[in-house]
Amino acid sequence: MLALLARVFRENRELSTFVVCAVTSFVFMALTPSAKDVLSNALGTPLRPFKELRATRVRIKDVEEEVALLRALAVRLTDDKRTLMEYKHENDRLRELMGFLVSFPEEEHLELVPARVVGLPGVRAIETIEIAAGTNDSISIDKAVVVPEGLVGKVVRVLKNLAYVEPVGTAASEVSVTIERSRVRGVVRARYGGPSGLLSRWIDYVPARSDVRLGDLVVTSGLGGVYPPGLAVGRVSSVTEDPVTMSVGIELAVDFSTIEQVFVVTRTHATAPGLSDDERRLLGEIERAREAGEID
Amino acid sequence: MRAGVFAVVAFVAVVLDVTVAPEIAIWGARPDFAVLALVYGSLVLGGRAATIAGFSMGLLIDTGNPEYLGLNALALAVVGYATGGVWDHLVRTNVLVQCVVIFGATMLHDFIYYLIYYRNHLDFFADSMLSQGVVGAAYTAAFGLVIFAVARLSGWRAIADGSQG
Repeated sequence: MLALLARVFRENRELSTFVVCAVTSFVFMALTPSAKDVLSNALGTPLRPFKELRATRVRIKDVEEEVALLRALAVRLTDDKRTLMEYKHENDRLRELMGFLVSFPEEEHLELVPARVVGLPGVRAIETIEIAAGTNDSISIDKAVVVPEGLVGKVVRVLKNLAYVEPVGTAASEVSVTIERSRVRGVVRARYGGPSGLLSRWIDYVPARSDVRLGDLVVTSGLGGVYPPGLAVGRVSSVTEDPVTMSVGIELAVDFSTIEQVFVVTRTHATAPGLSDDERRLLGEIERAREAGEID
Repeated sequence: MRAGVFAVVAFVAVVLDVTVAPEIAIWGARPDFAVLALVYGSLVLGGRAATIAGFSMGLLIDTGNPEYLGLNALALAVVGYATGGVWDHLVRTNVLVQCVVIFGATMLHDFIYYLIYYRNHLDFFADSMLSQGVVGAAYTAAFGLVIFAVARLSGWRAIADGSQG
């Protein structure tokens, strides 16, 4: 039998080669795991650089995917941050406005209508402020416009949903003011020209030797009936003595180029608004019921 | 001389199997460059050379998965031996015949490989044969078309003309 097999193998070299290869394969498969590791390490040397190349390629692909994901995330986070900053600015502004409303003198009883600034046209300086409120919001001509920092100006033209405000200190504007500390009066006006050709604001009609100092707070006097008294207009920035009058420069309290929201003073009351007949009747009934012990 | 060239081709095929094949996989099925080299190696050099080459290539590929060292060696040795024997009964110059042999050789390789690999889970074996074996074999056979076209353009008579040389 063995002799027959040997003869077959001798005569068929292809078959004998195959049998040797197949048996060797089975022997390899039957080796212990540690022996397989040793053999694999030894036999796999020629392929190792190519395997490492492939591994590097896979790593690079992974890193590229990660970079793309992170870039997308960064874009989204930047967008989110921009939105949050916008909210923060709005929040800060609303807090400021809230503080302004709370701190306003209660005895003045001003009725304020909020309005958003929608335009600031002007050539050398801001000459008009457009606000998104009009006759539909009970706004009319000659109403004072204020912000927490102080006086902005007055309404000079009104449409249904749009109004034009003439800022204090422009060429056409005149505002009667008082130096808060010394109660000295004057009128704030604008002057163009001079060496620089720029717009500057002055308090005119201040008598010579008046008690005016640098840094004094300037507020509205209330004369003329347009502006309520006591609104901050600015601070004294320069004082020059002339023979008859004083030249008093003023730095305005409000920077018109940065305002986003204003309030229009639609009504002022010297005292608190009175109660209507119905309200008086209702209050009387409540008082009677309390005296009768029907309510606490 | 031709044996030396075949050895180089066989090594390049193994390198392509390890590096390129995973990159160009379709639905998880890869072209089998080792089988491709074996089929044409057996066509040019005969079954004995193909068997030895198959065993060697398989062993080299198995180094990537030491737990199954010898499995690819066995499967590719069988493929080399079988294709070496089958060419004597076929029209070698016919491109369709070459593609069918490549398809069959790849299926035979996968059959042996998956049968031993999933010997305890025959359901996985059937699933792998159907999902990856058939597509992979067709993919590999498609490369046979390319090789035939290149052989014809380059005047490799051993492949495109059918002479065993």
